[in-house]
Amino acid sequence: MITQPEINRPIGQEHDVPVMQLRNVSKSFGTNDVLRDFSFDLNKGENVVVLGKSGSGKSVLIKCIIGLIKPDSGSINVLGKNIPELNNHELDKIRAKVGFLFQSNALYDSMTVRENLEFPLRRHKAKMTKTQIDELVVEALTNVGLAHTIDMRTSELSGGMKKRVALARTLILKPEIILYDEPTTGLDPITGKEISELMRELAKKYNTSAIIISHDLNCVRIVADSIVMLIDGKCYAQGKYEELQTSNDKKIQEFFI
Amino acid sequence: MKQGVLMRFLNETGDITRFAGRFFKEAFKPRYEIGEFLRQCFFIGYKSLPLVAITAFIMGLVITIQSRPTLVEFGAEAWLPKMVSVSLVREIAPVITALICAGKIGSGIGAELGSMKVTEQIDAMEVSGTNPFKYLVATRIMTATLTIPILVVLADAVSLYGGYLGANIRGVVSWDLYWNQVFDTLAFSDVIPSILKTFFFGFAIGTIGCYKGYNSNKGTEGVGRSANSAVVISSLLVFILDLLAVQIIDLLNLT
Repeated sequence: MITQPEINRPIGQEHDVPVMQLRNVSKSFGTNDVLRDFSFDLNKGENVVVLGKSGSGKSVLIKCIIGLIKPDSGSINVLGKNIPELNNHELDKIRAKVGFLFQSNALYDSMTVRENLEFPLRRHKAKMTKTQIDELVVEALTNVGLAHTIDMRTSELSGGMKKRVALARTLILKPEIILYDEPTTGLDPITGKEISELMRELAKKYNTSAIIISHDLNCVRIVADSIVMLIDGKCYAQGKYEELQTSNDKKIQEFFI
Repeated sequence: MKQGVLMRFLNETGDITRFAGRFFKEAFKPRYEIGEFLRQCFFIGYKSLPLVAITAFIMGLVITIQSRPTLVEFGAEAWLPKMVSVSLVREIAPVITALICAGKIGSGIGAELGSMKVTEQIDAMEVSGTNPFKYLVATRIMTATLTIPILVVLADAVSLYGGYLGANIRGVVSWDLYWNQVFDTLAFSDVIPSILKTFFFGFAIGTIGCYKGYNSNKGTEGVGRSANSAVVISSLLVFILDLLAVQIIDLLNLT
């Protein structure tokens, strides 16, 4: 069923446990209102795609969720904590449970693949031994099929490989929620499909929930359990891919042409 | 609304001051990024050694050769080591080294942090639970502040050796005589203030490079602009700080 924003969406089914609840989140830059009373829920094990035009505020939304941007108003409840109210120390704790895959991959140029993957561990798993860290790094790289690149520099990797390494780095802390910022942008359709299938497979393997920002319909079809339409800064509609695809609403239809 | 030039200058000065204040607030609190600090010492300090040494050697040599004819005219050729050592140690070696470092280190830090900023690497660091200001900025400012004085001491020594060779191109000054004259002339009041001011040079170079890189925007164009303005502003600051240092030294009668 397609849910319009005016209607309060029931918080999932009885067996659904919300891991993230956004309520009336607003953010503006100067006179530009990017998010306007945006609300939605993410349930455990669910993959929600946020679909919207370029510049519609999708990236701002997930940066608000991870605490990189502070919303002007509203609450962002992640795993029981309201993100805008947390101090840096509390934010760090939450960030260990929330992975973020950047659109540009954001791999550290000055480091090797191994060092890139070890970086999140140095803070969150400070008490681990070298052997344990090595095992985790190898496991994360094996999950994305790139164990052989462990000692390569990131500049030697192709676009698809960089995306996979970034995904491995995101997953190394075994997060409960993963935020993907346009994971297939800039990739060819075949590699994009591989990445989308990998995301699906890893979500199943580690039972993670995810918010995926995308406008790549192939990726959306593969990974989405449900889709949130971000239009005019609001949660314009929410529903399954097939439901939205057959919607009569003109604004929704534009995305599926 | 478009800001005037004066307003932008004041805003920028305020932002840089706040940025420097944040360094003092964060750099001395645990957790200390010792590994990154040592890595930066290698890149900022050790990797700048050859450039600083070659420049200092040439400056020592050239200053001696250029000064000689004037001293010969007054029959004061024997004073050559004295004059050269004072000008090299008090002014030329510190300022030239700081300018070389402003170019090499300032632009390097500005471009590195700028490209990290526009490719979201700084955000990625924050998301992975590492304070990027502490990890990237505090370590680089600290390294620049501590390594530039060491480079200046080296530059002093190498430039004085250049001066010795310069003195022997036309004239004859023995190794022992040259160094005896140099050390007879130089007092602690020459050496200490000139080294102390280089801590400020280093701090200014590190702070400006980091500020420009950390606040870089507008994609790759912004990175180039950050690197460029880091060099321009830190070079200018070196001269301003030098001017202030000379006034203070003069006031304290250390001349």
